[in-house]
Amino acid sequence: MPMEQLTLLFSGWRWQDVLDIVFNAYILFRLYVLFRGTNVLRVLMAVVVMWILGRSANAMGLVITNWVMQGVITVATFIIIIVFRNEISGVVRTRSVSFFLWEIPRTQINTPVSIISDAVAELAGEKIGALIVMPLKTGVDSIIGSGADINASLSREMLVNIFWPGAPLHDGAVVIQRGKITRAGTILPLSQNRHLASKYGTRHRAALGLTEQSDALVIVVSEERGKVSLVKDNRIHEVRHPDQIEALIKQYTCGPEPVKRMRRQTRELLVAAMVCLLCTTGLWLSFSRGMETLANYDVPIEFMTPDKKMNITYTSASRSRLLISGARPLINALTLDQMSIKISLDGTAVGKNKLTISRQNVQLPPGIRLKNIEPDQVELTLDTMAKKRVPVQADFAGKLPDGLIMTSIRVMPETVKITGGELVLDRLTTVFTEKIPLENLTTSGVVNVALVMSPATLQPDDKHQKVQIRYTISERTRNDDIES
Amino acid sequence: MITENCNVSDFKIRKSPFWCSRLLIFCGLVGFLFIPAGVGLADQPRMVLADAVVCESISNFRPVSPAVVFSVSQGEVFCFSEFDPVYEKTAIFHNWYKKDKLIFSMRLILSVPKWSSFSRVQMRDADKGPWRVEIRDEDNNILKTLRFSLSD
Repeated sequence: MPMEQLTLLFSGWRWQDVLDIVFNAYILFRLYVLFRGTNVLRVLMAVVVMWILGRSANAMGLVITNWVMQGVITVATFIIIIVFRNEISGVVRTRSVSFFLWEIPRTQINTPVSIISDAVAELAGEKIGALIVMPLKTGVDSIIGSGADINASLSREMLVNIFWPGAPLHDGAVVIQRGKITRAGTILPLSQNRHLASKYGTRHRAALGLTEQSDALVIVVSEERGKVSLVKDNRIHEVRHPDQIEALIKQYTCGPEPVKRMRRQTRELLVAAMVCLLCTTGLWLSFSRGMETLANYDVPIEFMTPDKKMNITYTSASRSRLLISGARPLINALTLDQMSIKISLDGTAVGKNKLTISRQNVQLPPGIRLKNIEPDQVELTLDTMAKKRVPVQADFAGKLPDGLIMTSIRVMPETVKITGGELVLDRLTTVFTEKIPLENLTTSGVVNVALVMSPATLQPDDKHQKVQIRYTISERTRNDDIES
Repeated sequence: MITENCNVSDFKIRKSPFWCSRLLIFCGLVGFLFIPAGVGLADQPRMVLADAVVCESISNFRPVSPAVVFSVSQGEVFCFSEFDPVYEKTAIFHNWYKKDKLIFSMRLILSVPKWSSFSRVQMRDADKGPWRVEIRDEDNNILKTLRFSLSD
């Protein structure tokens, strides 16, 4: 039984299902990439755990637990938005479209840290104020749009030159990315933190402001004290000895062994991708396989006739009711055009045929199982097309005015050629006209009337859609009345 | 619906002069010589349909008010058929059809030398519509089809 359930679980996959899972797994992975390293991700994880608990409670029939979990999740969603609004907005604002869709940020691993540390040490020694930004996993482009694009090679002299008092760009911050000075003279957002120690000036406040909104490492050189501080994740770390600068930068950025760190990051991302894929698959399975349901559909029966001359003149059923089972989402998404009953008329003959509707005749989308077919037999009469000339008879209705008698009629043409099923034509001996009212007929005359085809599948010749009735009306003689 | 039939012998046979009969016998003998071998009596029709009508009634062995439309209020419709000559005693059928459904079939005996016969069908309100009477011989060959309508 468990094997059967497992087979059922992994049978009947459609390409849409695979696409569904991969697409949603990718969305989940992108969310992870966007929010990794932030508190939002942790809270989101907690929400996911609560959701799983709620689903489990629902499956076990724990009504109140399920209800509470749903409430908590709803409230938690609002709480996340309110409490982490800054982080969320920071993520949203600081990321480019490419970052949202496919870019995978990595910490800086190619930056020549020694050049930066040497420059910082020199600036500190000279008591020249400096502000150096090193974006890590998340970019800072959206936060700091000001300043001048430089894209210059990184060198100690260049850094010192930029921050040299009186230089045009010395007052802003420098951004170092991928081993290059990409921007200088940029203005950083100031932190609103009221508990910042009074010894820290505007540079520290700006550094804090940026790290509140990103994961960047900011190196601050105090102009007054000549002290170096590393600011990361809202924390200011003062460097006491210039020798420590390089080690600390490496610690915050790429660590002592860049290759190993790179491998660790790749491994982490792969694991995250796998977890996303597994979670989405589990979610999909819980949705699609967890809620089996039954449904009835009246599906039209399609007869496939290899002989074009053969016509179906009668069927006992044009539709068959299918009882199907499957996951509720699949059943709900099911439309009639996805199901069909096709019966081949190979081996049938002119006349009555009884055909069985088997499971082989029923086409259903993957994941949907057939339980019953009603009716599972259909009777049909096949016929070949033929022509026959049959006499036409006028069909009068109503009452002739008193004293009149219709003594003769002549139908022109007397016979018409009818096209239709051979079997029907065999039984057909006469074609009747539509009703001709007698009330208004007082003298002999001519009337044109249409033919009534019964059954309607019969077709008269195009030129004989109507026939002419020439009738003779005369007055009754006294003898007629007396004799009758 | 009540149906009836009646076979009526024709009383209007005239007597021919004697010389005329002898002439006829002579002509007949001469004509017999010219009949090709192989032609037998089997191919000769047993009777010839002289007249057939649908009518409102029969009076003096003749049809009265032959018509193609009859009112159901008249209650009955007659089919009159006259055969002249009748070569041998035989039978015919009056088959009455409402639309294409056979309602009533009547076997009528014909006697030589000529014979008239009729069948009758009583009509009710439900019988309104197109009718036909097929006059068939014993071999089921259609001799004539008479069509009429039964109306209000």
